[in-house]
Amino acid sequence: MTHQASAADLAVADTLDCSGLLCPLPVYKTALSIAKLADGDVLRLITTDPGALKDIPAMARQRNDTLLSVEERGATQIFLIAKGATQ
Amino acid sequence: MTTHLGTPSLTSDASLRRFGDIRELLPDVANPTPLVRLNHVATATVGDFYLKLEWLNPFGSIKDRAAAYLIDGLRERGQLVRRELVEASSGNTAIALAALAALGGTRLTVTIPDGVPEETKVLLRMLGAEVWETPDDLCPIDHPKDGAIALARSLAASEGGTRYAMPNQYENPDNVRAHYETTGPEIWRQTDGRVGTFIAGLGTCGTLTGVGRYLKQQDPAIRVVAVEPQPGHRLPGLKSFAEAKEPGILDRSVIDDVIRVDDEPAYAMTERLWREEALMAGPSTGAIVHAANELTGGGVSVGVSPDSGRTYASYFAERLGNQGLPHI
Repeated sequence: MTHQASAADLAVADTLDCSGLLCPLPVYKTALSIAKLADGDVLRLITTDPGALKDIPAMARQRNDTLLSVEERGATQIFLIAKGATQ
Repeated sequence: MTTHLGTPSLTSDASLRRFGDIRELLPDVANPTPLVRLNHVATATVGDFYLKLEWLNPFGSIKDRAAAYLIDGLRERGQLVRRELVEASSGNTAIALAALAALGGTRLTVTIPDGVPEETKVLLRMLGAEVWETPDDLCPIDHPKDGAIALARSLAASEGGTRYAMPNQYENPDNVRAHYETTGPEIWRQTDGRVGTFIAGLGTCGTLTGVGRYLKQQDPAIRVVAVEPQPGHRLPGLKSFAEAKEPGILDRSVIDDVIRVDDEPAYAMTERLWREEALMAGPSTGAIVHAANELTGGGVSVGVSPDSGRTYASYFAERLGNQGLPHI
């Protein structure tokens, strides 16, 4: 499930910067980071691997987390992911 | 060499089992791993069947050979200078790499796939390696069952490729060379050139390709048989190519037959090896021996026993249930 939301609207519990890392490192590190959060907490993920645009949504579906938004700023992608399923 | 007192050290002598350091125990034609005949569990149709006990290598498995060649190759090409090692491994290669890396003062990160026993992960950490447990389906889109390999490659490519060197056992010809230069010649010499069939499991395929090439160069009539597990198997070290990518080093032209084995008969045969032959082998050995019993033709056959069952005690415990406990 994906919603459009901005960081300004959400309290981000943690930020993970995976700039320069190639798949599947961003997926691996994201999964470890989200595991440390409480249900409903939001992780901001920063990547530069174009593959992340398909890998991160797939990972979120697989783990039953909620992809809140995806923003592309040049070569960088910024994801907001909430732990667990949200409405 | 001299001792710290200036007196001459004892020289190494494999015939006396006297060695200067643990690396000198690595096998070759002068110091081969043993061949032991199976006297109870091999069927008559397979002829004289011998297992090559690779768990008597210094770090506990057949992977000691490849690990030494992989690290030496990196070093010779200058690829280990100011670098750490990273590798994907179901355990045995990682253990051997970790031991050799520790000897050489090099750090090792290892990505471990699903299904590896807890004992193996602890051994790696004991040797000083950093262990990244990796779900097989980490990359469900591009690498449905090779998450550990994909992660190792990703680490190797990170930081501009300057931090890590990756031995890459699935693609590196040094893996094949290890078996072409040591395992193959050992088997040829240990069987007086009479080996008619060689059987090993499909994994990285270094053993099958290296030994297969060597033996067929000695005698093209030698039959090389590969053992493949079923998808979703629990036989660490083996690979089903129905779910995993074939390694780049596999040379299918040296393989004459492929026999597929389920987990249950592999584990059942492993139990028989322990109880009837007193061979404390790992489950991949059980798969190889079970497959060998389907062969006909007689003669002298050699199968690989890649590792011992000691690191699979937790798997065996599940299978044993209450067996061996007192009934009161």
